[in-house]
Amino acid sequence: MDLLTPHLLSIGPLLTLVAVALLVLLLESIITKSEPVSFWTSVAGLLVSIGIAVPGIAVHGSAFGGMLRTGGSANYFSIIFFICALLTIVFSRDYLKKRDSVFGEFYLLILFATVGMVLMAAAADLIIVFLGIELMSICLYVLAGFIRGSVLSNESSLKYFLLGAFATGFLLYGIALLYGSTGSTSITFLTEHFETYASSRLFLAGIGLLIVGLAFKIGAVPFHMWVPDVYQGAPTPVSGFMATGAKAAAFSIIIGLFAQRFVHGVQIGTLLAILAAASMILGNVVAIAQTNVKRMLAYSSIAHAGYMLTGLAAGNAYGRDGILFYLLAYAFMNLGAFGLISFMEQEGEKHLTFDDYAGLGTTKPFLAVLMSVFMFSLAGIPPFAGFFGKYYIFVGAVQADMTWLAIVGVLMSVVSVFYYLRLVMVMYFQDTLIGQTASYSASSAAFVVLAALILLGLGVFPSSLLAIITTLY
Amino acid sequence: MTVDAILFFIVAAGAVASAVLMITGQNPVKSVLFLIVNFFCLAVLYLILHAQFIAIIQILVYAGAIMVLFLFVIMLLNLGTEEKHVDALNMKRSVAVILSCIVLFLILIAIGLPAAGTGGLPASALVNGTVETIGRDLFRQYLLPFEITSLLLLGAMVGVIVLAKKHFE
Amino acid sequence: MHQFVPYILLLPLIGFLVNGLFGKKIGSETAAGLIGAGVIGLAFVLAAVIVGEMAGSPAEDRKHIVTLFQWVAAGSFSVSVAYQVDQLSMLMTLVVTGVGFLIHVYSIGYMHGDPGFRRFFAYMNLFIFMMLNLVLAGNFLLMFLGWEGVGLCSFLLIGFWHDRPFDTGGYAPGTAMTTDAAKKAFIVNRIGDFGFLIAMFMIVGAFGTLNFDEVFARAPYVFEAGNATVFWITLLLFLGATGKSAQIPLFVWLPDAMAGPTPVSALIHAATMVTAGVYMIARCSILYALAPATMEIVAGVGLATALVAATIGLVQNDIKKVLAYSTVSQLGYMFLALGVGSFTGGVFHVMTHAFFKALLFLGAGSVIHAMHDEQDIQKMGGLAPVMPVTYRTFLIAALAIAGIPPLAGFFSKDEILWKAFSQGGLGYWVVGWMVAGLTAFYMFRLVSLTFGGEARWGHDKHPHESPKLMTVPLMVLAILSVVGGFIGVPESLGGSNVIERWLEPVFAPAMAKLAFVQTGHDPAEYLLMALSVLIAAGGIAGARYIYLRRASIADGIAGRFRPFYALLWNKYFIDELYDAVIVRPIAAGSDRLLWRFFDIGVIDGMVNGTAHLVRLASGSLRKLQSGNAQNYAYGFLVGIILVLGVIIFR
Repeated sequence: MDLLTPHLLSIGPLLTLVAVALLVLLLESIITKSEPVSFWTSVAGLLVSIGIAVPGIAVHGSAFGGMLRTGGSANYFSIIFFICALLTIVFSRDYLKKRDSVFGEFYLLILFATVGMVLMAAAADLIIVFLGIELMSICLYVLAGFIRGSVLSNESSLKYFLLGAFATGFLLYGIALLYGSTGSTSITFLTEHFETYASSRLFLAGIGLLIVGLAFKIGAVPFHMWVPDVYQGAPTPVSGFMATGAKAAAFSIIIGLFAQRFVHGVQIGTLLAILAAASMILGNVVAIAQTNVKRMLAYSSIAHAGYMLTGLAAGNAYGRDGILFYLLAYAFMNLGAFGLISFMEQEGEKHLTFDDYAGLGTTKPFLAVLMSVFMFSLAGIPPFAGFFGKYYIFVGAVQADMTWLAIVGVLMSVVSVFYYLRLVMVMYFQDTLIGQTASYSASSAAFVVLAALILLGLGVFPSSLLAIITTLY
Repeated sequence: MTVDAILFFIVAAGAVASAVLMITGQNPVKSVLFLIVNFFCLAVLYLILHAQFIAIIQILVYAGAIMVLFLFVIMLLNLGTEEKHVDALNMKRSVAVILSCIVLFLILIAIGLPAAGTGGLPASALVNGTVETIGRDLFRQYLLPFEITSLLLLGAMVGVIVLAKKHFE
Repeated sequence: MHQFVPYILLLPLIGFLVNGLFGKKIGSETAAGLIGAGVIGLAFVLAAVIVGEMAGSPAEDRKHIVTLFQWVAAGSFSVSVAYQVDQLSMLMTLVVTGVGFLIHVYSIGYMHGDPGFRRFFAYMNLFIFMMLNLVLAGNFLLMFLGWEGVGLCSFLLIGFWHDRPFDTGGYAPGTAMTTDAAKKAFIVNRIGDFGFLIAMFMIVGAFGTLNFDEVFARAPYVFEAGNATVFWITLLLFLGATGKSAQIPLFVWLPDAMAGPTPVSALIHAATMVTAGVYMIARCSILYALAPATMEIVAGVGLATALVAATIGLVQNDIKKVLAYSTVSQLGYMFLALGVGSFTGGVFHVMTHAFFKALLFLGAGSVIHAMHDEQDIQKMGGLAPVMPVTYRTFLIAALAIAGIPPLAGFFSKDEILWKAFSQGGLGYWVVGWMVAGLTAFYMFRLVSLTFGGEARWGHDKHPHESPKLMTVPLMVLAILSVVGGFIGVPESLGGSNVIERWLEPVFAPAMAKLAFVQTGHDPAEYLLMALSVLIAAGGIAGARYIYLRRASIADGIAGRFRPFYALLWNKYFIDELYDAVIVRPIAAGSDRLLWRFFDIGVIDGMVNGTAHLVRLASGSLRKLQSGNAQNYAYGFLVGIILVLGVIIFR
């Protein structure tokens, strides 16, 4: 027991989450009309998990014979995932009621997916990485198709599954090549001996295929094709969950691989820079042409993948800290935006075009103000948190002599203002054509307001978070 | 060339051939049968690598259980021979083949062709394949992945039930 | 006292929060207006007290940095929310709060009865807060916050009456709304912000800090004069300035910004926000002194803008548009001053211009108010006896901007023209001098058509003088337009040039680098002064003669030079050019090239027809399998080829 105790304590957040998930599973099978119980259990469980994860940030360690990293970045990412799961679950309840699909299994799947994410962030071994990705992905495939009566939702699920399986194949192949060239699957071993193997093409090809598998989850160009279709068809809060939680989870692995010790050779640096530039350009420019808000946010999420990849390509402390900051801020702004869209959406994927938001500023000023906050934050306009994430990332790129990439990034965020602002303009400066309805519960409203306030708080006092981030690795 | 090497090339060729036939086959049942051939070839490859336990599991689980499941599904869905729309797929196929060949070519460059017979098996591989070593590793170093796998299966089961159940309460 | 500077910022913020959050609860317009204007008035008093104390202390004790809290920190790099109190920032603060207060008071009358009354004051207070952040900031990042913030407020206020159509005189005739103007302003400004941001990243790269103190102190040691990095930093910062201060090539948004309520035009688009670029360059004077090439570009762009805008202003018929082009033109003057190394001259003109241009706009607002929202000067005339206060104050402002001594505009404009001659060259002076004539001409064309001659308005209009709330601010600004120049009377005219002495410590490092030869009193200065008064008087006389006596001459000229007239009337077709060269290609690129062509076309296109056939031929399940998903997988494979290719061949 003495041997086990430190392990159990250090993986407290993970254990709590698994326990909550299993509890919900039991509740679902025992109680009739279990949905409210499952909902509140999940919410309470996630809050407790956050509470357990926060103090652990300061402690660094490893557990299970070097299979897991604990504390530090693992806990930081866990908190991001818990927040994403919490917001998604809260927003989903109202949404699922509208779509006649409010079942406790939804929360269960979100919790299981979150367990997968936590494993990805904490993984110190590629086997754990793989298992974590699969646990997360399988739950997301099902969640995307959760509205079983909707053709779009089914299509979304099937497409995500087929392409996801394809991507997994390459990810696994990459892991095999890495094992073949180094004889180890330990991430600690790989990062420590990076220079030794950096000249080996086999090793680099392994890394490359690993990046391919993760770039798919992130939604980076040219592995982005699924993103618009899947986000559009999936239940709206689930789209938000994919864009924030799943993206952060995939980034946690790449950061763990490279940015931890700031080494990646010229090949990986170039590769990441190309992916970043392509994602920023395609995501932002194509978003302009969209008329459906969910598709617009889907392309915007591709663009944001590009911004964050810029930080990785820079491969220095600025870039890394910028991504860590941005991922948390992005979780709030993007989930907030998807949450508001889910409030507005009506039966049968209706009320999802820009025109449906006309005059929201006068009919529903509360929602319009919040939506504007999220849009301005996404566009990177100070004093909202989105600005600082971008700011750090681009400073990192300039420091790494990738000024061209920073220029592309800033130019593209100028372009992005065009479509984020369009929604704000439509809300405030156009007259309502039809009566808008929005349905949301008090708890959802409270969480959206909280998200907006946190964005403002992080924008005014970013140091408070950055001070923590710099101690993570 | 050693006997191992000769055996390897024969079985590997069998594995590739059966995989290609499985994809191109018009009849689903035939495809499944080629898949079984493919699994057997893989099992032999495992044996050549002294991984007896995995070889047996490969046959028991995949060729045995999973294939039977596939066949059941095919029977239940009553799938006949695939409808003829070869014309429609021709161009797609050629694109797929070309792209895949380029990927293969690049991977081959990355791997590089080692001189024949230089590799050989590391000594540890001779004992690694036994049930004892696998069991020991699985319950010591790889205990956590082993446990996570159970979560993965649980999650997948919940997912399948959600998607397949006829009526939610 | 300087430690109280944060309260100058806090006051407008409180006003914004009170009016913004509790506006509906306040109920009475008077209370909301009093709060909105009161907080700005208090801020002005506080600023004045601080300046008074500064003036009483020795020159080396006038600069302070007030740090509130650490804002961003990572490793050795940190930025605080810190305000720099010095001669330059406090001068700007006085102008912003002083003119801002008068315009707020005027707005109580002007916006009376508007359903968005409280919202208006909330936005205006937020604007003042952001503008104060901009001018008082102690580092580039905080300045950028203010920079973006004023842009946002400007956007909100231009589109304030969002249901009104708006005559752009160019693009989207008949269908444009004020919101189009707002969007245009915001996006054009973002292009400028792009320059600012990149410059900021380069400054971090070169200095490792963004604090004005450290950057400016170390700049002369880090860079040789003419260094490429400092050239790019200054040029990109100038790009930011061309956006905010409406210079070529980004000036197109400002005339359209007139779609907002008139007090907004006065405050934001004439007196304060648009001078942000001038202020920023003056603040970075040492960097510019190290980049002579950029200085020449700044001077050239300023001069070109002054000329282009003045010529367009000659033919416009919308009272606010004329003033807008006049603003662009005057801002060009300020950049000319900065470009030839007369930072004091630029800032001096910022101040005097704030007085008379705010007065002109508020006067125009008073006229528009009286004429029931009529803005076409061809439909005015004969208003002088009806609106005596508005007429007299407007006339004073027009004389001031035309450069008639001893009004404020004369001293600042003369300072600029003299420096353009002595530090720039004869060419700069000649063009600047001609623009002075054009300015006098179009201003008095405006005055004559609006107030003079016969009334050309219908019987349905009953113009009347505006209420006291509006005329008193006009009178105060008129007084300032008369006496405002006396703080900059040049020594050659026996003055002591207070403003130059006051600002000297701020610009001393830059002036030391530039090292102009001080020639002392040059008789040429008197000659140039006389010439500029002459051309101003000529312009005034010409305009009055043509538009009051011989209206036919104007039509005759327009008829004889029809192509040239059309060119000016259509503002050199610049909007159309941008639309054709930039806006349309991007929109088309998004829709057709990247989305339809690349995302859907290339990948789908490889199999376009076939996929269609399959879709028709097969059932719903097969539709999904043979549809896009497979094509997406091809995109995936292309990606893998790219990844492996980079790794192997790089």
